[in-house]
Amino acid sequence: MRLHVHLSPDWVLDTEMREYRPEETVDFCIVGTGAGGGVLAQRLARYGFSVVALEAGPWHDSETGMVSDEAGSANLYWNDLRITGGTDPLELGANNSGRGVGGSTVHYAAFCPRLHPSDFRVRSLDGVAVDWPISYEELEPYYERMEREYPVSGPAHFPWGKRHGYPYAPLQAGTAGQMLVKGCVQLGIPVVAGGPVAIPAGSMGKRPHCIMRGFCLLGCKVGAKHSIHVSHIPDAIEHGAEIRTRSMAYEVAINDQGRATGVRYYRSDSNGRIIAEEQQARAVVVAGYAIESPRLLLNSRSSLFPDGLANSSGLVGKFLMAQAAPVVWGRFPEMIRQYKAPPACASTEEFYETDPAHNFARGFALQSVSPLPIAMAHLLADENGRFGLELLEAMQDYNHHGCIGVLGEILPDARNSVSIASETDQYGIPVAYVHFNLFENDRRLMEFGAGTAQRVLEAAGATETHWTPRYAHLVGTCRMGFTPDDSVVDQWCRSWDVPNLLIVDGSVMPTQGSANPALTISALAARTVDWLRSAVPRGELQTRPRPRDQHVL
Amino acid sequence: MVRDRYPGWDVLSQRGHWDETTRKVVLDRVHNVPPFRYFDSSQIITLGALCARVIPQAHRSPERRVPIAHWIDQYCALGSSGGFRFEDMPPRPVAWTWGLDGLDQSAGALFGSRFAELDGDRQDQVLERIRAGDPPGEVWARMPARRWWIFIALRDISGAYYAHPYAWDEIGFGGPAYPRGYAALNNGAPEPWEPREAPDGRRRT
Repeated sequence: MRLHVHLSPDWVLDTEMREYRPEETVDFCIVGTGAGGGVLAQRLARYGFSVVALEAGPWHDSETGMVSDEAGSANLYWNDLRITGGTDPLELGANNSGRGVGGSTVHYAAFCPRLHPSDFRVRSLDGVAVDWPISYEELEPYYERMEREYPVSGPAHFPWGKRHGYPYAPLQAGTAGQMLVKGCVQLGIPVVAGGPVAIPAGSMGKRPHCIMRGFCLLGCKVGAKHSIHVSHIPDAIEHGAEIRTRSMAYEVAINDQGRATGVRYYRSDSNGRIIAEEQQARAVVVAGYAIESPRLLLNSRSSLFPDGLANSSGLVGKFLMAQAAPVVWGRFPEMIRQYKAPPACASTEEFYETDPAHNFARGFALQSVSPLPIAMAHLLADENGRFGLELLEAMQDYNHHGCIGVLGEILPDARNSVSIASETDQYGIPVAYVHFNLFENDRRLMEFGAGTAQRVLEAAGATETHWTPRYAHLVGTCRMGFTPDDSVVDQWCRSWDVPNLLIVDGSVMPTQGSANPALTISALAARTVDWLRSAVPRGELQTRPRPRDQHVL
Repeated sequence: MVRDRYPGWDVLSQRGHWDETTRKVVLDRVHNVPPFRYFDSSQIITLGALCARVIPQAHRSPERRVPIAHWIDQYCALGSSGGFRFEDMPPRPVAWTWGLDGLDQSAGALFGSRFAELDGDRQDQVLERIRAGDPPGEVWARMPARRWWIFIALRDISGAYYAHPYAWDEIGFGGPAYPRGYAALNNGAPEPWEPREAPDGRRRT
């Protein structure tokens, strides 16, 4: 079929896309086109595999499908029903799940830090959560590649985690980012500016550079900000992958031998009719992020897999993590005009690691954030339910507000989970029930992080500071591990139970660190493809994975 | 009283610099106000009174007031979940209906009258009880009041108001910035076309 999609004002993806018939058996059927699925589709296609990627949402044309407007951008989010509960129920939709080609990277702020080496060994080092079945060093080469492919701008010497530098020059900071730098410098806290953020400071191929418009969270109309749909999807299509949009997966099909044979989905045709189809495939990859991936697996029940697919451990849906992301704001006597320039700019990871002086394990990052008017009004209203003149006058200070986002590590807990609710969505598919509780370590970390951000704002000159809890990023729920008992997938993101089924997205992360997850998800996807490239010809997808010995790490 | 912090600023005067898709979305919001379809006439009166306490607009000339209640009605009529439902709340449109009923129940229990018929001070007293999470009324036994207040009422009302260019004028927001972008990035400086803050409009700290 012919595609005609603007990725930037002057770059139209105007190309013929290969189409497969559903009954045609392809090598890989991938569910989802975000940071995991998109990178996977691109690399598999490059290596000559036939690929169909199902995407529930549409293409977001940068000229006609994105606007410079907060209220007009709901089309970028996953707005289908989910039920949220627990003692600290997560708000879903909006900032934590995307819908459409590119997934959540379409609306993400594009902060792209790496995890630290310690993140892979938190059980060994800090006695909390679990160790990953891979080391930082095993993922490092893929971080390096993704930083060039997204690409990521940032300082030449990044002082935290394992020392590294960024391949592209730091992005210019606006006043809001400069404010975070100023406060940290006043307090003697090391800080970086201009990245790591996936917005190149110069033009990249057909992507022009940033115009500093500050609407990153509403999709980049400029095409300057990285999103998987500008960085990897065009290459996937050029190499023969099909991106099948408006196709909502509801079941992974299984044969009598317990092998995946394809994916059943509902496709909305151009007349708005919904058609049930099944794409045949030799291997299936689930890449729908931390809610939709376990939902699809748990909804794929059969006599062979009565508790849902890939769930012999009982761990599908368990250990959901959100990142603690309280927003802290200060009022400055001078003007900030925080809406200018990309919100992702300056950060410090000085508080990232466990500090024996703290009363909690692990840590947090501080990052620049710059809420647009509606987001700012919601922060002000959330803090204490303020309304009336109190709300109106606080909002009149909008141009005097500077904000810092805390990004803190919430530890995995089996009680935080995704399961299946009794209600159904517009397709008739049972929806996800998301249960989330904060625990003591999480609360202490969040309060300390917010207090630290308040000190930074005050050092930068804020005369009053406030904060309110927020959560960002959803990971966990299909964790990778060493054995079939301790996890859902092995170190290559392959299901222990179904040898030709992989899960490649944020749901496989055993812990989350205090880093925004997109780059890590893409690096994991790239590592998985490198393995598949040789494992498929060796016939390894025919047999179940073998456990990995903890002592090799 | 709300001071005019950015005298003369009219963000719509910049619309010639916006891209066509964005311009259409924003101008639609100004000129094509959706008619009421979801709430009944009694609920509309309560909703109007609520919006007027959450976002007072008496300082604006009538033609410059943002018709917030119409937008709330529109969200509810479209029936979008917005991506989720709290397990202890009904679907969002139903939560709105319940909440408006709850306002009248609380007003009745506290002052023996409907919410919209109370004076502003008494309306605020009702809202303060909801804000505190302990209002009287049967509705509030089946729906958590504080969650309704913050995540339904304040979210949607403030969201509808600050989506409107007249509200952007009030806070000195530059508005849509594509394809023009920004050049003045240091010291909170305005672009040549952006408003300056009135010297006497600044809040004292």
